Amino acid sequence: MLKQLKNILMIALVAAITICGSTSCNSSKKLSKKEYKVKVEQAERDLNALLNDETEWTLEEQQARLEEIKETDFSSKNPEIMEMIERAEAKIANDLAERDRLAEEKRLAEERRIAEEQRLRELEEQSQPKTDLTDYFTMIVNAKDMTSANDIIKQALNLFEAPDAVVLIRLNNFGDYDKPTTASNYLNYLKDQKTINVGIYNIKYNANNKITELELIKK
Amino acid sequence: MKKLLFSIAFAFFALAGYQAFAQEPEISPERKQAIDSLALEKVRDLSKYIKLIGAKNTPWSEANRVIDRAVELFASDSEIGVSSLSKTKVEYYKVRQYLERLMRLNYDRVEIDWYKIQYVSDLQRQPDGTYVGVITIFQTFKGYDAEGKLVYQDTTKKDITVYVNRKETQIGGRLVGFWDVLLGDMRVKETTLK
Repeated sequence: MLKQLKNILMIALVAAITICGSTSCNSSKKLSKKEYKVKVEQAERDLNALLNDETEWTLEEQQARLEEIKETDFSSKNPEIMEMIERAEAKIANDLAERDRLAEEKRLAEERRIAEEQRLRELEEQSQPKTDLTDYFTMIVNAKDMTSANDIIKQALNLFEAPDAVVLIRLNNFGDYDKPTTASNYLNYLKDQKTINVGIYNIKYNANNKITELELIKK
Repeated sequence: MKKLLFSIAFAFFALAGYQAFAQEPEISPERKQAIDSLALEKVRDLSKYIKLIGAKNTPWSEANRVIDRAVELFASDSEIGVSSLSKTKVEYYKVRQYLERLMRLNYDRVEIDWYKIQYVSDLQRQPDGTYVGVITIFQTFKGYDAEGKLVYQDTTKKDITVYVNRKETQIGGRLVGFWDVLLGDMRVKETTLK
């Protein structure tokens, strides 16, 4: 009898544990009324804040919150929340589009600003009296004395990468050249000889727009 | 007989080799013209340098720079003849020595002019490929004292030997062929009062 009672108690205990356990599981899946109420209140608060621009969340954070709200099914008991979700979705989409539009507008404005700056810079460069290499040749040859010629040579050398930049003098178009010389020596040669009998055939520049190689041709 | 055949074969190949060299194509007249002009230009350049070196108003540093440029025009060990109306013997100096003497001449003002710069012997191609010619020039020299009085003058005819060699150099990754003109001795041919 005692053994039978013991068995009954054991069965009752197992059943109680089983029932209790399964009830507990069910309650984690389904919201209790209280929990649902909290969810509704929270959702309403957040959605109102989203719709009325009363939040400091970024649009991405707003999107994430909205997705979180949508995880709960409010359709049967709170259709007004579903309507708010729809409006909030539309608003966020609209805000994102507006943000993209403003960003594009800003990018275009920046591009225009850079282009305008470049245009003004070029305009300024063009309006400044520019002395090119052939002008310097003429100025050196016509300098009133050696001191003046040396000053002009100094300025002209600024056009070159270095005073020893190569200067080639073509004699013709058959590949015949005079002995190669340097920028400094050639400009001094012009100063000494006081005559120009060459034209510019080709100029090579470096990335800083300085002459690395000058090729002249006999006239 | 063997020796005879060997000699004939040797003579044949030697002659063929000589003819092959002799028939090596000369440069075109247009290119030759460019070299002729280049050599004449070097002599004209020298005339300007000599004028600058001799001029008393050329700053010392500039005169020395010009001497360097002038020396570069000559083959090493070349000599320049110096004549005088008062001496029968022509003295010869190394180029740099001549130019430095010219810079220090004992006049208050010196005028040196070269004219009639022309070939007396055209550039001719030598067996080693060098082109050699002779250019003649006339030089008038005038020396003045402190009062601006002309104290000495003469006109000298000089012959300058010119050597032109084809050379190549690497520039910016490409091979550039150029003509290297070098002046040789400058010989005095005659000196007159005017």
